[in-house]
Amino acid sequence: MQRILFEVLAIISLVLCLVFPILRFLGKIEADRFKSGFLFASIAWFIFATLWATRTKKSSKT
Amino acid sequence: MAGRIAALASRLDQLYEFDREPVSLEKLQSGGKFAGLFAGEHVAATEFVIGAFFVLHGVTAKDLVLGLLLGNLLAVLSWTFLCAPIAVRTRLTLYWYLRKIAGPGLTVIYNIANAILYCVLAGAMIAVSATAVGIAFKVKTPSLSAVFPSSWGWVLITFALGAAFTALAILGFEKLSRFAQVCSPWIFVVFIAGALAMLPKLGVHANFDNFWEVATTKVWNGIAAAGQDKFSFWHILFFAWFCNLAMHVGLSDLALFRYAKKWTYGLYSAFGMYPGHMLAWICSGIMVAAVGREMNPGLMAFEAAGFAGVAGVLFAGWTTANPTLYRAGLALQVITPNWPRWKITLAAGTLTTIISCFPIVFMKLLDYVAIYGLVLMPIGAIVFAEHWILPLLGIEQYRAEKHNWTINWRALAVWFGTLLICFFLPIHLYFRWLPGYLIALVAYVFLQGLKKNKP
Repeated sequence: MQRILFEVLAIISLVLCLVFPILRFLGKIEADRFKSGFLFASIAWFIFATLWATRTKKSSKT
Repeated sequence: MAGRIAALASRLDQLYEFDREPVSLEKLQSGGKFAGLFAGEHVAATEFVIGAFFVLHGVTAKDLVLGLLLGNLLAVLSWTFLCAPIAVRTRLTLYWYLRKIAGPGLTVIYNIANAILYCVLAGAMIAVSATAVGIAFKVKTPSLSAVFPSSWGWVLITFALGAAFTALAILGFEKLSRFAQVCSPWIFVVFIAGALAMLPKLGVHANFDNFWEVATTKVWNGIAAAGQDKFSFWHILFFAWFCNLAMHVGLSDLALFRYAKKWTYGLYSAFGMYPGHMLAWICSGIMVAAVGREMNPGLMAFEAAGFAGVAGVLFAGWTTANPTLYRAGLALQVITPNWPRWKITLAAGTLTTIISCFPIVFMKLLDYVAIYGLVLMPIGAIVFAEHWILPLLGIEQYRAEKHNWTINWRALAVWFGTLLICFFLPIHLYFRWLPGYLIALVAYVFLQGLKKNKP
């Protein structure tokens, strides 16, 4: 269950990493807002993807 | 001399003992695994430099797109028709297959050459990462024509990064490999995000209606930077083709495709060539154009995507330098008797770090990539000839193995002779490997057919 949760959150973070530059390209947000949004989405990706990867590894061992 | 080579070869055999036997059927991997592997492996730190250099070399947008489409297709076909069929027939790594063909002595020479080439490549990755760290410390990135380090700051950063990468490779290669798996989809996103965010700065409208006009006038406008050769369609086509020459034509990816169920799995390399190389090179081209054509991957990424972009350059360098350092260490083990793994990685890391402080390794990266492929290409031609052409002509195969030769001197002569001829060929460096490959094929078949049972 936890693994699925982290997987979903990781994918959402990565999608957000793409949404911010699209919004910047469309002129909906300023450069600074894009950069900070992209940074936070990236940090979220690393946290959730790492948790997802470690849970996947544990479940494949058992 | 022969005794010393035989002793080295015996040590090398012990290192690779675990993959001596052909891969068994139950260990074969699905196509999806190959697609994922290729997609993850071909977005590296060097992509920030390669795509940017295409812009600085004054290629036009049309030549770039056509050259990349066809060049990458030729790379995919090389994996599919040259590398994968031999891999699924033999199920052996290049190391063990070459040993049967050219003898254990030649595999020692091949390994040492490979180790040196790997160290230079890892050095280039450290140098690319150094441009990202340099921003924080306001260290100026060396100029395009720089050969030697331009400042103490640059030397200190490359040494610090080299030491950090080496220490991390020593402490936990496997953990870092897992971290690289987490990084790879994100690094790919950094390229796309950086390029997308820079498009408004170049004047591209939100509905993309003037994208091609901007691409042809502000990005790939056909004007080369001062001191850079002008690139044409052919340069791009050949570069995209030979960028991984050692892996496909040079057959080092036998190690990978021996796990393929069918030779057609070579087509999965398209996942690395099109969403990987092609898209990443286009994105880095857009980024360099938006920063006034300054060759500084760290600055490009910072301007495009802020601190996340800088982290992208740093992580891309780190995660790709790590396996390269590991492979260099493995290849160097042949000349370092009884050294533990950490000591060898330290030696490879030290050599790599020293190399990385010379900016020429990344300022001349495109030429280095060409030389890297060129040096190992004749081995691919020798193995291809031995596998397919010798049986067709009724010439005995695997004579080095059957007659217990330490070195197949004919193979060695073809390897070095081809490189000598390539050195003097009056054509651009990028185009030399193709006639070289044909020369190596013909010369090896001719020499092997000349006289029997003598090394």
